[in-house]
Amino acid sequence: MPKLTIDGKEIEVADGTTVFEAARQADISIPHFCYHPKLSIAGNCRMCLVDIEKMPKPAISCNTVANEGMVVNTKTEKVKELQKSVLEFILINHPIDCPVCDQAGECKLQEFYMDYTMTDSEFHEEKVKKPKKVDLGPNVMLDDERCILCSRCIRFCDEITHTSELCFSERGDRSTLTTFPGKQLDNKYSLNTVDICPVGALTSKPFRFQKRVWFLKHVPSVCSGCATGCNIYMDYDDGKVWRYRTRDNESVNQCWTCDAGRLSYPLHNEKRVTRPMVRKNGVLEYSTISDALGEIARALSSLGGDEAVLVGSAQESNENNMALKKFGQTCQIKDLQYSAKPKDDADADNFLIKADKNPNRAGVQHLGYQEFHGGIGVKVVLALEGFSETHLSQLREEGPVAFILLATHLGPETELADVVLPAATFGEQEGSFTNFQNRVQKFEAALIPQGMVLPAWKWLEKIAQELKQPLQLSAEALLQEGFGLKFADLGTEGKILESKN
Amino acid sequence: MADIKFNEANQKKFEQLLKRYPQKRAAMLPTLWLAQEQYGWLSPEVMTYVGGLLEVPPSKVYEVATFYTMFHLQPVGKYHFQVCRTLSCQLRGAEGITAQLKKRFGIGIGQTSEDGRFTLTEVECLGSCGTAPMLQLNDDYHEDLTEAKLDQLIESLE
Ligand code: SF4
Ligand code: SF4
Ligand code: FES
Ligand code: FES
Repeated sequence: MPKLTIDGKEIEVADGTTVFEAARQADISIPHFCYHPKLSIAGNCRMCLVDIEKMPKPAISCNTVANEGMVVNTKTEKVKELQKSVLEFILINHPIDCPVCDQAGECKLQEFYMDYTMTDSEFHEEKVKKPKKVDLGPNVMLDDERCILCSRCIRFCDEITHTSELCFSERGDRSTLTTFPGKQLDNKYSLNTVDICPVGALTSKPFRFQKRVWFLKHVPSVCSGCATGCNIYMDYDDGKVWRYRTRDNESVNQCWTCDAGRLSYPLHNEKRVTRPMVRKNGVLEYSTISDALGEIARALSSLGGDEAVLVGSAQESNENNMALKKFGQTCQIKDLQYSAKPKDDADADNFLIKADKNPNRAGVQHLGYQEFHGGIGVKVVLALEGFSETHLSQLREEGPVAFILLATHLGPETELADVVLPAATFGEQEGSFTNFQNRVQKFEAALIPQGMVLPAWKWLEKIAQELKQPLQLSAEALLQEGFGLKFADLGTEGKILESKN
Repeated sequence: MADIKFNEANQKKFEQLLKRYPQKRAAMLPTLWLAQEQYGWLSPEVMTYVGGLLEVPPSKVYEVATFYTMFHLQPVGKYHFQVCRTLSCQLRGAEGITAQLKKRFGIGIGQTSEDGRFTLTEVECLGSCGTAPMLQLNDDYHEDLTEAKLDQLIESLE
């Protein structure tokens, strides 16, 4: 356990810790490009140079092991001079096209320039020109001129996905990030390379030129793409979600997400149900809220409790499923089933992607819902988003069934419904999903629901009211009652459910 | 393209090579060299084959093959003129040599004549500065070049 001094702070670190990591433990940040905590050390950018007393030359802190008695300086004039020089060197052939670069505003090169240099370049020769639009793969576009050759993206493909698509060709100022001739950067995690690229060289095709990042606001959230529930930031502005960004959670997704999940954000923006709809003379028409609620009350109040089934959803939050359960308790409907997207065994791996494409199967199961199995003599179904055509036809084989759907999206299901209420997505409400580890993870509301959209639990409150049943809900209380947890308990890492027995 | 595979002689050489290195991938340069000898250039198929032999992804073979200018990633002609363009040769008239070849074959630097016979490239110092200007034709040096000498050389080729 060597003890060393960094910028006058004495700290003790584990054997083998690098100076860079030791500094990080002492809350001293050292600028860097190529170092990444999850990747092997490349030591090629030189940005992390520090001065170590009694060492003949400055050393790269990311690849220097901390030793007993070391005295390290990271902020002296000497080090500042080094940082300046390194940046000047890196900037020699950099196009500095920040005004049209997507990374501007979250670019390490820009930030370090502001922090450590702020001087004019002394390079007056012509810069090397390289292609600005290289189609690397289905999701990633490369601007070759901006690449600072840190090799993070290459190491990601070598060490994390083990697909090794990327490499540098040629050498010196001709070095170019590329793929093997005829091959593409085409793996299920390729967009992580865009995340870890410290500059604007790798860009996400769907996000390219869409939005200046400084306009984006964000909330912590959870991907709904599969049972893993990767932690994300939902970046939003103008009533729209513009992208998901990965959020660190060492116990779930580390600092990665899959491309499919990351690109699922348009679900908040597109094909939404925004107004209630009621079927009249066989045709589904927009209606007022009170007409829709009246229709639902009529359908439900004429029945015995066993003629109705409540269908929760592995796509919906813990809170909305709990609300549906409570609604059942209030209205004496006992049949609780849940819908779920079918498993996709072909799209699963040992890393993050799960065959179970539902973010909350563990949550609905915890609440005691049974996987959808239909029923005999059912006259009314009240279902959360996720209920499918096949479920409905299974029920309708037995006879006519009134179908009430709290839908987020327009689709074949809404076409078949008798009453549709516009429900909020998980980007429009506070709530939680329970992932495959039984970890309850919180998401926050990014958007204000548009039109007449409300979270499903609020609709259930209104339906109960219409039925003259007392039901007062809140997301916090639903989580508490269903799971014995408070939002505050969930923190940034989520909380594993105590097993029920 | 026919199956890419070392011929018997090269396969033997390759096996000998492997014994010289602690890891297979360390034999990258000589193995690529062997492959280039056999096929004349390193096509993607050849690089993939070499990657398979050395148990590295093709992209890592490509990195090495593009790093060194003496590996050909395009087919080269039967006669490959590599004119030295470094200082001593420059001072002694390398530019004229290059110009003469360009004119004679109607090609630019890095190009191959239409009949596929002649390729012209410029290379860095070949360590023969004392006999500048010089060029390397395939594996042989031709030194103290003059216009007449170069003409003679070209005439002597089939
Ligand atoms: S593309 Fe980005 S991550 Fe990859 S080497 Fe270049 S700068 Fe680094
Ligand atoms: S692995 Fe699953 S949870 Fe993670 S980003 Fe992909 S779809 Fe979303
Ligand atoms: S971070 Fe240390 S050399 Fe790049
Ligand atoms: S400069 Fe031409 S051989 Fe050295």
